[in-house]
Amino acid sequence: MSKYAMVIDMDRCIACHACEVACRSHYDVPVPYYRNWVHDLRPEGVYPDIKKVSYVGLCNHCDDAPCVKACPTGATYKRKDGVVVVDKDLCIGCGLCIEACPYGARYIDPVKEKVDKCDFCIDRVEQGVEPACVATCIASARIFGDIDDPNSKVSQLIANGAQPNVSSKVNVGPNIYYLDSHNHFPVVQAAFPPKVPNMPTPQKMWTKVLRPLFWLAIGGSFLGQLAAFSTQLFKGESDIKE
Amino acid sequence: MENKNIKLNDDIVLDHDLLKGPRHLSFDEKRILATRVMKKHGVGGVTLHWVNAISWFLLIFTGTALLSASYLQFAPAWYINMMDGIFGTRGAMLHFHIAVGVFWVTTLLLYGIFGYKNYLLDFVKHDLTIDKDDIRWFPAKAKNLAGKLNHYEMPPQGTYNAGQKAYAVVVAFSTLTLMITGPIMAFHIGSTTIIQWSMMLHFVATMSVFAGVFVHVYMAALFPEERPAFFSMITGKVNELYAYLHHYKWWTEIKNEEHAFFAEELKKDGIDLPALHDCKNIANHQVNSKVYDMNGDEL
Repeated sequence: MSKYAMVIDMDRCIACHACEVACRSHYDVPVPYYRNWVHDLRPEGVYPDIKKVSYVGLCNHCDDAPCVKACPTGATYKRKDGVVVVDKDLCIGCGLCIEACPYGARYIDPVKEKVDKCDFCIDRVEQGVEPACVATCIASARIFGDIDDPNSKVSQLIANGAQPNVSSKVNVGPNIYYLDSHNHFPVVQAAFPPKVPNMPTPQKMWTKVLRPLFWLAIGGSFLGQLAAFSTQLFKGESDIKE
Repeated sequence: MENKNIKLNDDIVLDHDLLKGPRHLSFDEKRILATRVMKKHGVGGVTLHWVNAISWFLLIFTGTALLSASYLQFAPAWYINMMDGIFGTRGAMLHFHIAVGVFWVTTLLLYGIFGYKNYLLDFVKHDLTIDKDDIRWFPAKAKNLAGKLNHYEMPPQGTYNAGQKAYAVVVAFSTLTLMITGPIMAFHIGSTTIIQWSMMLHFVATMSVFAGVFVHVYMAALFPEERPAFFSMITGKVNELYAYLHHYKWWTEIKNEEHAFFAEELKKDGIDLPALHDCKNIANHQVNSKVYDMNGDEL
């Protein structure tokens, strides 16, 4: 079984945004949303010691994906090959997955009114073609492959020290790795740390307070009628006319 | 009542004391009352009840299977798998849930719009409004169930008893909530915040009804004393003995209406019918050898 992952080589990326454009045109992603993005950070440091860092990001297809847990209907699910996808038929556009995602990788499509995000171009991959962003990258800064295969390029790059964007607070097993030899990655991590998955107030209320209360009420009413019915069976029926 | 055209049946001995409050009935009185029927639900009410019941059944069975996230999950995993198997895909199940929901909302809207005068207003005013007797009923029923209070000492009840009314109020509010929150989720109306609150309210409304449905079904279908209520949801009619014992205020009301109807009929012939309290017998009325029930429907 394969498990797909991507490595982003920050040393090679020139921040041309071609991957972002390729993705947008391939999937008709409306502005201002992204399935795949390059966020240019402001230059850092003092001349001549200066850095210009870009954050190349997409869905991390996390092993322990908070979006999958948050989705009420099971529209968002993780395939066996590790790709997290959205079943558009089942999505009700509630946005709970957006709240849960640590990487801001999800948006509601304003036309379809359903959630959308990167799916590693799984339709292309299944036909043996690379994802659109990978195919278009002029510097080969995006490397896509199977990390279950130790000989794949991604496996080798991860063995060479590619890092996922995790923090001490949030580590949900992301599958996008960053390769960096100029100390640029810590800048990205400082600017875009993974966000703690959030659950909105109504869902918290339901989970913490209301659901237990309703379990009690339903259980109580069921047991009550069960007791009454048992008594009735036990006693037998009396003539109501007397 | 000496009139060649109109006569009140006098073979039934039910004196006017009956109108002052429920009392123990003799065997004959019971026998007579048990053979007569009163109309409780119109064809509109009966139809709405069963359309509502079937819709709820389908919606609950698909809705519980749709909630698969662990923090929302209500049904066990095997049930969700089974329902997935029945529908093929969960997407198909969601579409089915929405289709039934649309049908249900449409039915209720038609009922509310076209039946506003004939059904809805009457139901809300007459059957849902809670009065003093209803408030007294709850502690009385508790005592009654504990065997400490005689049935005849219970506060007299209208078309529906206080327990039924309280549940009906919960169902009415839940129905309104579901009619609004369902379409919001199904058709993505409003921002994600609105959809998230709708989800929560949708569950609250459903579970409020669900918590009472066991009692509702048990009382109507299995509990011997209330069983006539179950058949009344098919035929629309209950026997008078049941009406007298369980819905005394309603029974009296119908008797008064019946009396007023015949007083009017008799007035056309120049006869003044005494007030109901002064009538010796309360019975089926015959006009021109036709027998009418309390609604003025010919029997």
